[in-house]
Amino acid sequence: MSSRRQFIRTTLAGSAALAGLTACSGGSGTSTNGGGPPPPPTPAITGPILVLVQIQGGNDWLSMTPPNSGANGGAYANNRPVLSAITANNLTDLGSGVGLNKDCTGLDLLHAAGKIAWMPGVGMPNPNLSHFTSTDYWGEGAAVPDGTGWLGRWGDAAFSASDILRGVTTTSDIILMNHGRKRDFVAVTSSADFNYPTYLRSSAQVPDSNFLKSGYAYNLNNPGTTIDVAAAASEGKLFYDAASQFSTLITTRTPSVPYPGDTGYAIANVSNQLSTQLKLVAQMIASGIPGQVYTVRLGGFDTHSNQVNDYPKLMRALGGSIKAFYDDLATITTTVNSQSVKAQDRVMVVGWSEFGRRIKENNGGTDHGTAILSFALGNMVKGGFYGQGYPDLTKPDTNGNMVFTTDFRSLYATLLEKFLGYSDSKGILGATYPTLGFL
Amino acid sequence: MATFDSQQNSWTAADVMHFARRAGFGVTPEIAATLAAQSPSSTIDAWINQTADMTAFNTALAKADVVSTGVNQSIPADPAPHPFRLEGWRRQGGIPNAQGHFAWRMQFNPNPLQEKLALFYHQLFATGAEKVDNTAFTVKQIDLFRAMGTAKFGDLLLAVSKDPAMMIWLDTILDRVRPGSSDVPNENYAREVMELYSLGVDNGYNQQDITNLAKAISGWTYTPLDIQTDPNNPQVQRGNDGTFHVNMTYHATGTIQFLGGTFDIGAPTTYGEGCITAILTQRGSNCAAFLAKRLLTFFVNPNFSSAALTDLQALVLAQNFDMKAILKAVFKSAYFFDISNHYNLYEGPVAWIVRMSRMLCPSLAAATVPTLPSFPAWRAVAPYFHNSGQNILDPAGPNGWAEHTGWINSNTARYRGKLAASLALGEVLTGSQQLFPSTVASWFPTTPSSPQAVYDRLAALLQPATVPAPVQATWLNGLWTSGFSWDNSTATQVKVRELAFLILCSPHAQLH
Repeated sequence: MSSRRQFIRTTLAGSAALAGLTACSGGSGTSTNGGGPPPPPTPAITGPILVLVQIQGGNDWLSMTPPNSGANGGAYANNRPVLSAITANNLTDLGSGVGLNKDCTGLDLLHAAGKIAWMPGVGMPNPNLSHFTSTDYWGEGAAVPDGTGWLGRWGDAAFSASDILRGVTTTSDIILMNHGRKRDFVAVTSSADFNYPTYLRSSAQVPDSNFLKSGYAYNLNNPGTTIDVAAAASEGKLFYDAASQFSTLITTRTPSVPYPGDTGYAIANVSNQLSTQLKLVAQMIASGIPGQVYTVRLGGFDTHSNQVNDYPKLMRALGGSIKAFYDDLATITTTVNSQSVKAQDRVMVVGWSEFGRRIKENNGGTDHGTAILSFALGNMVKGGFYGQGYPDLTKPDTNGNMVFTTDFRSLYATLLEKFLGYSDSKGILGATYPTLGFL
Repeated sequence: MATFDSQQNSWTAADVMHFARRAGFGVTPEIAATLAAQSPSSTIDAWINQTADMTAFNTALAKADVVSTGVNQSIPADPAPHPFRLEGWRRQGGIPNAQGHFAWRMQFNPNPLQEKLALFYHQLFATGAEKVDNTAFTVKQIDLFRAMGTAKFGDLLLAVSKDPAMMIWLDTILDRVRPGSSDVPNENYAREVMELYSLGVDNGYNQQDITNLAKAISGWTYTPLDIQTDPNNPQVQRGNDGTFHVNMTYHATGTIQFLGGTFDIGAPTTYGEGCITAILTQRGSNCAAFLAKRLLTFFVNPNFSSAALTDLQALVLAQNFDMKAILKAVFKSAYFFDISNHYNLYEGPVAWIVRMSRMLCPSLAAATVPTLPSFPAWRAVAPYFHNSGQNILDPAGPNGWAEHTGWINSNTARYRGKLAASLALGEVLTGSQQLFPSTVASWFPTTPSSPQAVYDRLAALLQPATVPAPVQATWLNGLWTSGFSWDNSTATQVKVRELAFLILCSPHAQLH
């Protein structure tokens, strides 16, 4: 609700059940690539860059990758008389009794190329149906929550003092996931004028920005500084330092492909909410901004109502933006340790949402549910299905929600150990979780 | 209630400023000195009773033009009627206009608590204008907060539940359960009204309560859209007033169990209202604790002790959720004025820039004199609210904003810097028009005799937490490198404005 310290207090109390978990039953290192295309050769990951897409509002992934056969298919149709009738004729078969909503533009092509790992049923043992509590659970990713996020703790452990721009979010707020004990991720919402006001940088005036810098330094080094002043000084200094690096590196860039919302994009009236952020990430990568993890967000998935009309638009924005981004990266060549590396070979996109939605539809939409669909996408990914399988829709919990199959911290352990190359995932997550086999 | 038993029987100008920052948008040192000579009790009573004369404000509001950004440099002798253009159904441009309208009211309302409570309740009942897609309804909801800010919380909770903007925002109007059917209700509002607006997550309710409350309020809606042209201004068209009613075709009937009670949701005249009311009657203690947390976090101390929370919870219950009585008890308490509660709370970005503009820009009386620079161009400033961390009237979610530390991150530091530059450095938008019109001379009623005197006056206006002396010295020595003289030269004005900018950007000025 309010302060971080307050958050820590309430979270420690409220997450006792979650905190009690020391290991999970879900997750394995084996692929269940059920009939999908054979995995392509895995390229070496040089200079990995993770782009985490927050699908905000609770993605009704039963409408994105619904079951299209078997008992699950029957249960889906029975519980979704309106919504299933729409998706049934609009699916690309992914194999394993699962289809992909064709409105999710472009992901069918990437699946066919073997570049997407699907992870249906990712969740937690004691889910919460509040958007905000659940988002915080996902953010914490800890066996024992302490008011920090798993990426923030990774930054605390892995970043050096000069790694100002190694963790970046394109959102204007800093969610718990990106909050560390020592420092937050940097928010870069636009590349234009990422600096102090022009007036301050004009040579004719007194160099005020130096005054600001010295003020931050004084307050951060003075033992008498209060916690609140130090926190504000820390964030001010973070922007100051980030701006100093960013402004020397950033270059203008025209995307090599049209993104949703652009003139020339094949489909009209697709939201540019996500594509704008991914374009910015591509620009930063092309400019040599040393970001290793970028977090972006697509909102609007709280489809309690009007889902028939809204969900296809959301799918087009999600799939279309990611596909354009993937294609755009093919034209960017970066430098890692003095070697040229294609950006497309460095970047993996991973999607997550705070929860899925109720199996049974309401009168026009779906209400809050539990387990999610995660997916990982990139040239280094071994395509197919991973985790402990699709939830059994014929055996919901007492509230009519899906029972998760794969612990979300297995996903995090995989990203930390097998992609970011940080071997001590236990140090970040508080316990050992089995990794998944898509890398 | 021990925390709030001891009264503040006397106060200093610094105490007055503390009170005015929290219960309003600050007062100048001159006003603080005047109020400090009066008793705290009577002054706080008048402030909370909102007894200040609104005539001049209402007159100016009707004529203020903060919308058309090119015209605030001069005011015609007889300005045209209300140009805010808040007509709702035409959405384009509506939100920034309404944001400008809200900010203008915060800056000039002679009863600032009315706007501060509107902001408090907007941050609580956070409703997003983009989805509502009807600016008139958005403004109507804020007007509801103004009208009922000091009313009983339960009455406001029911009114908000029947408010058209809220019913659109959280899908009440699409919660349809035909009588006797097995239709599945839409749970959106039923969940959030307890989780976010009255009890707190998982605090005294379960999934069955959510489902049953959703049935109880099914069919709630407002009168259909009815566009009418304003006869006094053919350019303006207005939608209907959103009168609440129940569509019986989609309203479930029968009895339900809710929070341990049994309710006949088909009972005529109420049609489920009793369930909203029951949140307070069935879960009064939980709701009182929830409200106490919000009040402490917004007005007093975000890092409150468990004793303070328990005592305010008891006070809320003892006063039967009467906000006027609760606010008086809180603001008159010695606890509120304890020095540990000064500057322990980050200020939200909109309240922050409004308060600073109250200090540096002309007062209402001065601004309405045609020869002076007039009002800030809030309509042009409003687009910066989002990136500074608070897109008022259009929050991204029904949980509003993470207050206090949630206001502070590297991005908000970036955009507070831009707002500070606009305000202090006199940023010019077009031509010679300033976004925040001000004159350096007006900041100094007496001539300062030294750089330190310049700082002291600016600090008295902008009221940061105490900036360490070595930092002050660095700034002053850097700005006045070769002696001090006070004149109306550009060089002097630049130094003063830059000093104001440095204060505004300091960590200490983010607290209030």
